[in-house]
Amino acid sequence: MKAYTCLAATAATLAVMAAGTAEAGAADDTMRVAFAEEILNLDYNYTTKREYIILSDLIDEGLFDYDPDSNEYIPSVATGYTYLDPTTIEVTLRDGVTFHDGSALTAEDVAYTYNFVISEPSEAQAKGTISRWLKEVEVIDAGTVRFHMLEEYPLAVRDMANRVQLRKAGTYDADQAAMATSHVGLGPYRVVSFEPGKEVVLQAYDGYFADSPKQPVAIGNIVIRNIPDLGTQQAELMSGGIDWMFKMSRDVAEAMGASPTVDHVVSTDLRIGFLILDAFGHTDAEGPLTNVTVRRAMNHAINRPEIAEFLMGGGAQPVYAACHPAQFGCDQSVARYEYDPEKARALMAEAGYADGFPLELWSYRDKPIAEAVVANLSDIGIDVSLRHVKLASLNEARANRDIEAYFGTWGSGGTPDSAAILRVHFNDTSDRNMSNNPEVTELVLAAEVTTDQAERKRLYSEALSIIADQAYWVPMVSYAQNFLVNAELDFPVYADGLPRLYRASWK
Amino acid sequence: MTPPTVQTAPAADMPDRAPTPREILRRRALRHRGFQIGLSILVGLLVVALFAPLLAPHDPFAQTLSARMLPPVWADGGRWDYPLGTDQVGRDYLSRLIYGARVSLLVGFGAATIGMVIGVTLGVLAGYFGGAVDHAVNFVLTAQLALPGLLLAMALVFIIGPSVWVVIGIVGVLHWTYYLVVTRSATMRLREIEFVAAAKALGASRRQVLIGEILPNLVPQILVIFTFELGVAILAESALSFLGVGIQPPTPSWGLMIAEGKEVMFFRPWQVVLPGIAIFLLVVGANLTGDGLRDITAPEGRT
Amino acid sequence: MLKYILQRVALALAVAVVLSFVTFLLLNFATDPAYAIAGEDAEPEVVEQIRKTYGFDRPVLVRYAEWAGGVLRGDFGESYYWNKPVAELVADRAPVTLLLAVMSLSVTVVIALPLGIVAALNPNSALDRMALGIAVSAQAVPNFWLGLIMIILFAVQWRLLPVSGDATLMHFVLPSIVLGASSVPAVMRLTRTGMLDVMESDYIRTARAKGFRGAALVRRHALRNALLPVISVLAVQLGAKFSGSVITETIFAINGLGRLALESILGSDIPTVQILIFLFAIVFVAMNLLADILNAALDPRLRIA
Repeated sequence: MKAYTCLAATAATLAVMAAGTAEAGAADDTMRVAFAEEILNLDYNYTTKREYIILSDLIDEGLFDYDPDSNEYIPSVATGYTYLDPTTIEVTLRDGVTFHDGSALTAEDVAYTYNFVISEPSEAQAKGTISRWLKEVEVIDAGTVRFHMLEEYPLAVRDMANRVQLRKAGTYDADQAAMATSHVGLGPYRVVSFEPGKEVVLQAYDGYFADSPKQPVAIGNIVIRNIPDLGTQQAELMSGGIDWMFKMSRDVAEAMGASPTVDHVVSTDLRIGFLILDAFGHTDAEGPLTNVTVRRAMNHAINRPEIAEFLMGGGAQPVYAACHPAQFGCDQSVARYEYDPEKARALMAEAGYADGFPLELWSYRDKPIAEAVVANLSDIGIDVSLRHVKLASLNEARANRDIEAYFGTWGSGGTPDSAAILRVHFNDTSDRNMSNNPEVTELVLAAEVTTDQAERKRLYSEALSIIADQAYWVPMVSYAQNFLVNAELDFPVYADGLPRLYRASWK
Repeated sequence: MTPPTVQTAPAADMPDRAPTPREILRRRALRHRGFQIGLSILVGLLVVALFAPLLAPHDPFAQTLSARMLPPVWADGGRWDYPLGTDQVGRDYLSRLIYGARVSLLVGFGAATIGMVIGVTLGVLAGYFGGAVDHAVNFVLTAQLALPGLLLAMALVFIIGPSVWVVIGIVGVLHWTYYLVVTRSATMRLREIEFVAAAKALGASRRQVLIGEILPNLVPQILVIFTFELGVAILAESALSFLGVGIQPPTPSWGLMIAEGKEVMFFRPWQVVLPGIAIFLLVVGANLTGDGLRDITAPEGRT
Repeated sequence: MLKYILQRVALALAVAVVLSFVTFLLLNFATDPAYAIAGEDAEPEVVEQIRKTYGFDRPVLVRYAEWAGGVLRGDFGESYYWNKPVAELVADRAPVTLLLAVMSLSVTVVIALPLGIVAALNPNSALDRMALGIAVSAQAVPNFWLGLIMIILFAVQWRLLPVSGDATLMHFVLPSIVLGASSVPAVMRLTRTGMLDVMESDYIRTARAKGFRGAALVRRHALRNALLPVISVLAVQLGAKFSGSVITETIFAINGLGRLALESILGSDIPTVQILIFLFAIVFVAMNLLADILNAALDPRLRIA
């Protein structure tokens, strides 16, 4: 009793102390943000992780912007696009957009950026995505460029919005790492100073174009600090050293949110969690997981609603198809395996595994969910041993085909289209594909070489219903994203879970 | 090294006839408070481990997601059906704490036994044969002592793949030096003593001498070390599990429970405090028992 | 004396070589580093290419010879996880761990020596019992748990010290106490026995007969002799602090060698793990050697022999 009240008192004291210092954030108009992941490179064309997306949103612009409310790609630096034919897109550019050094953006800059990214010497991470479909960008006039494509590709506008950040012509000619440490972009904030792995200091760019969908930008300064330990982040937030943190577990977020100086903000996320089963038999050609009845039993064994409500919270939903329900083409009419342990046990018996079988289940995040899954599967007689490891180890073992089942998650890079999850998991060159059904691969790839949305929908429906009928996966739950912010801060969240720091403002 | 609880026997207590060795042991044990406390803790936790299914109010693996993160009874919202509350997936905390004794003791006894087999074998061989064998064993000993044990154990468990048996094996294989040092010098002494020489003269084979004559005389010392190593192994297991390269969930291990509680320790401190106290008690019990055993079995004059 | 030291040095070197070989075998047999390097979306052909590039397809003995040759030339290899030379990683982080080791050893000395001396001067008293109680407890407390409890109490409850990190000396106070506490039992017990033995020696009896009493006797005569073995044990404990830093640095988020070791193991970064295990072993062997030499130099009996 005593220890408990003592601690509650401490929390209250901390809260008071935090209140004293928190005003500093609003007073000097500086929002201090903590990332656990280290920022080592400022150029998003050369990086991929989520933290880099958040940073890039602040300092860069692509041609378009994604609007999470309407779920559409909207004008930004570009004012619009038209398909001249299925493999040619014409994009019109906005006037008066300037780089942080004051120079105006030109059609040459746009063409240069894209043509360099796909060029032979380019080592850009964006190259992998863009060079699949882009042949060349051609300058038509001062305000128009034309994208010549290799083949039909439905996500071209998505890539223009998210994947390639615009650079001044010639930027990479001498040195591909030119933007890695000293950055000149088009975004609402410009980089004032950067210490790799430690700190990025940003200041609102006063020449930022007024018609940007990111306007109005309210906060004058943003400092991003790398604090690898989440416990340290908590302590810093409580003592007013930082104003914003994310990637907290629900439990910590709720406990910290109880303090009057800290707000717990939760949003849904495009990430979903699922089990992938070795249906093909890579680990054991005759193994129980090659039996569709066993896989269906496992699908019936998982209590999705409880995991969604109690472990994830924040509006997370059970998921039955191999994609996020908000994604284009994610057909919700596929076979649903509701939670039914009785039926699951009956199916196990029918498959000849009335006494269960041993199963090694790998996981790399969200241990409580992994443990809940273990308990659910044990309940129908499967003798599960959990291997909770770092992502790199799981990837290595999977590449080695040593994994019979794993608890995977996928965030689709925030793309509201099933292409972003299905290709990477069902292409025959991917080791994430543990079912290796050529028919599914064919359908999934076919949906990426046509811009006919009705046809794409049909192809994905067909692929998803095979996946569900064959129970290649055990789709489980959509994710929620927990943010902890200074109570002085107004931080709106969006359905895709991506934090848009430029939207924050002081109350 | 001598615990102060040992008092030298007043002369008046001495019986007329010379006491048998067994009586001496019993008398010393009865006077050694540290030994009694240690042994009671050890036996107590052993009983808890053995009768865990009877003592635990719930199945330690049974999850009730709707009843997760319940506080203990003394806090607001606590319930008597979960006296210590529930964990992140709604498992009864008290039941997991009780079952945790099983894991700790299993690893402790298992690893200490493996270490004993290795250490005693090497020690007796080195002590009995001396010469080149002794030099070789001594070299292995120096090498083993220099190895960063915890670090190597972490690397090995991670590479082989964590399970209770792997942890037992690796902790055991890395903790045998203490046995070796003691049995080696003891064997050296015994080798020269009459009854061994007599057995040799009677034509006993080396193996008979080693197993029949020397080993039984080492039992008290081995027992003392075994108790200490029990504590060492339990601490090693808890550290490995805490770091995520030991016992894996959902098996209830105290070290793992501390790791799971770490994230919420500012808000639910008991999830860190209680399993720590459990480890502490068990290891103190083992160490006090070891200290006591050493004093009790020490030769006359060295209390 | 010289011959003795040379013998010890030879033994230490032999141990170092054997250890490096054994750890190399253990680490390289069990895992295939190619996957760690290849990363998330690598296809089998890429992995095979990496194996060839890095030479993982050659016999382990050849690779060991190359590795050992590299180490002798001061080339510690390249970390797969951090994409940096291992030597650079180690050089970056070693000062932090060295500071932690020295500070925690100071904590040990400050606690253990007075306790051991007081206990020995008052055998079987309440003080003696308390000292032993502390030793028994310190031996049984899980290190990582002590660290967490200290964070809860000192950093959050009372807000006296920082929670974690290694920015200032204040950040090292709690970790040093935690790491230092683990050596208290051994050093305390040794000090106590040493003092007891010395106090009963002929030498002290003579001093007593000459009229030395109390503090002067302890200071001028007993302490010096009793502390001889303690000094060499301290050297050994300093070596042990390096491998002990794994847990402490992890809990307090200190960017030293110990944390690097855990991260490297979890990230399957074999070259770094290999060097760290070897390095910790070398430090331990060197400290033992130092202890032996100190013993030989300070102990008058050995010096004469």
